[in-house]
Order: sequence, then structure tokens, then C-alpha cells
Amino acid sequence: MILTGNKIIEEVESSKIEIAPFDKNRITTNSYDLSLGETIIRYKTEIIDPKVETPYEEIKIPSDGMVLNPGDFVLGHSNERIGSDFYVPMIHGKSGTARMGLFVHVTADLIDIGSHGVTTFQLYATLPVRLYPGILIAQVSFWVPFGDIVLYKGKYQNSTGPRPSMTYKDFKYDIFKKD
Amino acid sequence: MILTGSKIKEEVKKGDITIDPFSLEQINPNSYNYRLGSVLKVFDKFDGTKSIFREIEIPKEGYILEPGKMYLATTKEVIGSSRYAMSLIGRSSMGRYGLFLQCSANLGHTTSKHRWTLEIVAAMPIRLYPEMIIGQVSFWKNYGSIEKYSGRYGFLNHSQESFVPDKQENYDPDRK
Repeated sequence: MILTGNKIIEEVESSKIEIAPFDKNRITTNSYDLSLGETIIRYKTEIIDPKVETPYEEIKIPSDGMVLNPGDFVLGHSNERIGSDFYVPMIHGKSGTARMGLFVHVTADLIDIGSHGVTTFQLYATLPVRLYPGILIAQVSFWVPFGDIVLYKGKYQNSTGPRPSMTYKDFKYDIFKKD
Repeated sequence: MILTGSKIKEEVKKGDITIDPFSLEQINPNSYNYRLGSVLKVFDKFDGTKSIFREIEIPKEGYILEPGKMYLATTKEVIGSSRYAMSLIGRSSMGRYGLFLQCSANLGHTTSKHRWTLEIVAAMPIRLYPEMIIGQVSFWKNYGSIEKYSGRYGFLNHSQESFVPDKQENYDPDRK
């Protein structure tokens, strides 16, 4: 079951959902609109190797915007801190964003229950697109879980800006482990 | 409703969810992390009707994917459920590298059970290793009575190229 906009407002008011800052005008029928923060991360490597830390640079989007060209891939972030210990959040593009050929996540829409922080957008452009800080770029929906809840305690908890992948941390104990 | 990690574990024990091999360490709060199989199909050419892939074994030192190509692979695990619908996606750690694990076809039908075919697209060149944890699958409660899956892909354990449309005269729109 997916929460309606009215239910999202109720659950933000009763602290079962965290959206901060929260503006009732951004509630939609089934979701809440997320705005793009000003920091962008661009990887600075020719070939990504998940076993090692990837070098990157942080860029501030100027007020007159920043152009992504087709094939460009960068990380952005929501201005809003989001999370819930009671519902499962999912990230979606806004249809207006998608109509410009812009992906806001790369097959990773599902957020763990108990994860809190600003969300990292995985921005992949298929057409030239100019991004401005603060534009409403994505939306988050909330879904009812079934079963006992164990909260997220992972490595991206409490993100305050875009977070590059940290698969190199998994590697030590887990990622390539043979069964 | 989406199943929590604890519920996924219970249902695997009961046999209503199949994840094989199964490891408790790969359970997330509301999904299960799957691994990449060791065989990759690399796009070779388009013959005018269909794409031709060549099959390679991913070496231990990894294989570099190039942007703009599409690769087929499978999950290492056999994944399925007699009771729940599934959604198979990537994981945020790989999404943060720009790695797509499927091409807008995340829905897994109730009663299908197999090694899923992954449709992999890389936004940046990336090295993939055999059996690395690469994506996640979530399970969803159904509403309504369940009809057994009758499609062509849902029981295949190898990465399967598209069957449609091989020839226009063979195309049957009623075939799932």
C-alpha cells in the first residue's frame, strides 16, 4: 500500500515520517516533491573500480545553472532530509524531469526503512539539460511494510550532501565473499 | 505492502520465497542483495532484426563495461516466490556509479523462479567482478487471487536475449 499525500502530512506531523524542511505545498496526491541541492559530485577517474575509493570533485551549481550533456553522469542531492522508521520511502523522478530525458536515480529507487538523511540523486542525462539549484527534480513516496521492522544502520546514514559510492568498504568483509 | 527483511527471512524458511544460495548477511531492512553471476553476454552486432551477443566468463580480475553498450548477465541466485510479486533493481552503491541493472523492467511475476536476466548499462566505464553484490530484490504482497505465471522467461536460468519479435509473422501479441 502506498500512502496518500494526506497521510504523508499526518505522519510528518506525528513524526513517523521525516521530511525537513517540510512545505505542505509540495505534497502531491501520492508523494512529496524534492528539490535539488547546490552541490554536485563528479567522479575523476577513467574507469571506476568498486574495490577502491574513487576520486571525485565537488562542484557548486551556479545560480545561472549547470549544463549536463547527453551521457553525463553526476551525483546530486535533495535539500530535504527524508526518512522513516515506519514506512519504506521510494524515490522517483518528476514527470517534468523525465520529459527532459534526465534520470534522477540509476535503478536504485528503494530506500531502507530507518535510513535518514538527504538523498543522493544519481543524475544521468540523455539530452542536454540545464540544472538550477532548488528546482523540484524528484519525488518521494512512502509504502507500508509487512513484517517485523529492523532499522537501517548502513554506511550512508545521516548524509548531509551527495555521497559517492562506498563499495570499497563492503569489499573487506562482504562484497566479493564466496559462499 | 513491501516485505521487511525479517519477513523475507521467515518466508525463505517456509519455502514461500526462494533465494538460492541464501545468506543472512545479504538481507537489508526491506530487500535482499543479490550477486552477479559469472557469465556476461557482450553486445556484438545488430543483424538487422536482432542483437547478437557473445558470451564471456567474467575473469577474476574483473571485466570493464563501456558506456553506451548493453550487456546481459544473470543473478547468481535463483530467485522466485509462489506468494509474492517481486521488484528487482540495482542497489544505491552501484547506482552511485551510474550502473543500471535493468532497463525499466523491474517487475517479477508471482510464481516465476529463476536466475534473473540483468540488462546492464553503464553510464561510466566500470570494472565488474564475478559474484560481487550488485543489486537488490524486494518482495510485495499480492491483492487478488494468483494465476500461475505462463511467460517464456520466468523459469530460465541463463541470461536470455529478447524473444520478440524474431520475425513479424511469428509475432503473437497474445503470447506473454
